[in-house]
Amino acid sequence: MSKIRYFIKQSWLLILSSFCFGLLLAIANAAWYPRILQNEKEKLNKLIVGLVSDANDFQIVIEDVNIPGERGKIIKTDIYKVRNAEGKTAGFAFVGIGSGFADKIKLVITIDSKCEKFLGFDVLSSNETPGFGDKIKEKEFRTQFKGIVAGNLEIIKAGEAKNGKVMAISGATVSSESVVKIFNIYIDKITQKIQEAGLD
Amino acid sequence: MTTKTTEGPILGQTFIAGLWRENPVFRLLLGMCPTLAVTAAVKPALTMGLSVIFVLVCSNIVVSLMRNLLKPHLRILMFTLTISTFVTIADLFLRAFQPVMSERLGPYVPLIIVNCIIICRAEACASKNGLVVSIVDAVGMGIGFTLALCVLAGVRELLSTGMIFEAKVMPAWFVPWAAMSMPVGAFITLGLLLGLVNKLTKGKS
Amino acid sequence: MDTLNILLVGFISIVIVNNLVFTKFLGICPYLGVSGRIDMAFGMGMAVTFVVTLSGTLTWLIDHLILMKMGLEVTRYVCFILVIAGAVQLVEMYIRKFFPSLYESFGIFLPLITTNCAILGLCLFINLWGIDNLLEAVVLSFGAGIGFTMAICIMAGIRENLNMADVPESLKGAPITLITAGLLTLAFMGFAGMIR
Repeated sequence: MSKIRYFIKQSWLLILSSFCFGLLLAIANAAWYPRILQNEKEKLNKLIVGLVSDANDFQIVIEDVNIPGERGKIIKTDIYKVRNAEGKTAGFAFVGIGSGFADKIKLVITIDSKCEKFLGFDVLSSNETPGFGDKIKEKEFRTQFKGIVAGNLEIIKAGEAKNGKVMAISGATVSSESVVKIFNIYIDKITQKIQEAGLD
Repeated sequence: MTTKTTEGPILGQTFIAGLWRENPVFRLLLGMCPTLAVTAAVKPALTMGLSVIFVLVCSNIVVSLMRNLLKPHLRILMFTLTISTFVTIADLFLRAFQPVMSERLGPYVPLIIVNCIIICRAEACASKNGLVVSIVDAVGMGIGFTLALCVLAGVRELLSTGMIFEAKVMPAWFVPWAAMSMPVGAFITLGLLLGLVNKLTKGKS
Repeated sequence: MDTLNILLVGFISIVIVNNLVFTKFLGICPYLGVSGRIDMAFGMGMAVTFVVTLSGTLTWLIDHLILMKMGLEVTRYVCFILVIAGAVQLVEMYIRKFFPSLYESFGIFLPLITTNCAILGLCLFINLWGIDNLLEAVVLSFGAGIGFTMAICIMAGIRENLNMADVPESLKGAPITLITAGLLTLAFMGFAGMIR
């Protein structure tokens, strides 16, 4: 009995304050969590609208697609269906992750409703070298992926960029290759899943 | 009346101390991680500074209020609990109202928990002094930290992009030094700034 | 074979390519404070490796088995820091009891470790990178500790020689250490892109 009393005497402040802090956290979370979710959704929305010109709204249609990634690792992703103002399918979008030059690169990739052409990509997050690898975010590089045939892409350093070939950013071949690799890892499985579900 | 006249200058001194004489970054070398990590541009640096001020003031208030109830061996535990709670609140706030900055700062917001400045002030000031002194000390230290961050970020952003606050200030012929926004730029700029501060203070005394 | 490959690549990546000190600026305080002598630096590095492996594993378990299952992600930071503080305390008690001589040599660093950003930082990065496998989390935590030890030992080696160099008066101490660290990060940038 005395042991319990000693324990309480020593730690009542700790217990009481943990309780108060827990309450404080719960209140803050309850007040702001809807807004945080809204922000995340808006960010994706903004990127997708920038890529699919007539996008109106989007929703998840297939959850947890298992993508066989690098070195036999399984990556999970969701497929979003993008709809235009008339409610028709304008295309599909998914988030792709792969390792870049310095850290992971996270992309939003969009594809048309028939799974024939890419509609382009945008960078969700990356940590590439400023001034070099960072250029994957720029329009010059990104427009190359607009309207390109959805299949295996290839990176080239010189020559003519057509028929599934993409010109690398000079001085940042590795970053360019990483982007193309993300495309290639995801595309087969994604088209297969979309066709299986009969969504197009 | 007499107490007021003696308290006034002390409060002022505590406040000023944080700004220059005991500036957490330049003089005490505390909180180096965020100083180096978020100073690639002024805006994230400012956001970081403001979050640190918020956490510092809140934790100093709480610690100062319960300083007489603290058991010595549970002291540090109480500090970390207090600090991490307020950091979580700051993080939630940023995620809700400043999503772009929150993403930019990434894990460096939760890392405020282990920022030595906060635990150091809780231990050295708030657990020994009254409420008013603790708050003034926290604000002074916080502003000193923010200023240091902004100076460093200003230099780095100017040289790495030719911009300050995302507005172009350098002439057109200026070639951006991309290296300044990489880790190298952070270390070397801070090293040179510390050297400059050392030089200035030596000249005075 | 694939698992081994992932683990090996992850380990090399965190030790060299994504070294916490050089690319993420974590653990700079002890990096500047304790890197004066090489034996001290090594002791600190070992202590950090020990604690980071323990707390990286524990926080991964807690995060995946308790917090995510119950939707308590909001208390993540509080839980993480308490786990780290607890782990440090435990290690300190254990070493004091069973290895008194070891305690003498690196016991002084142990309380400092709680506020070492590298440890909390690693726990957060494991969460951020979406590591979903316990083994990988353990290997990454251990690798982070080794990476930290390596960084701090390199620095200590350089600083021992720096004592004999003719450094300008106002750059002595921390400033020159930071500049040296800057040059080191430049060298380590050469490893970027090695792992793809």
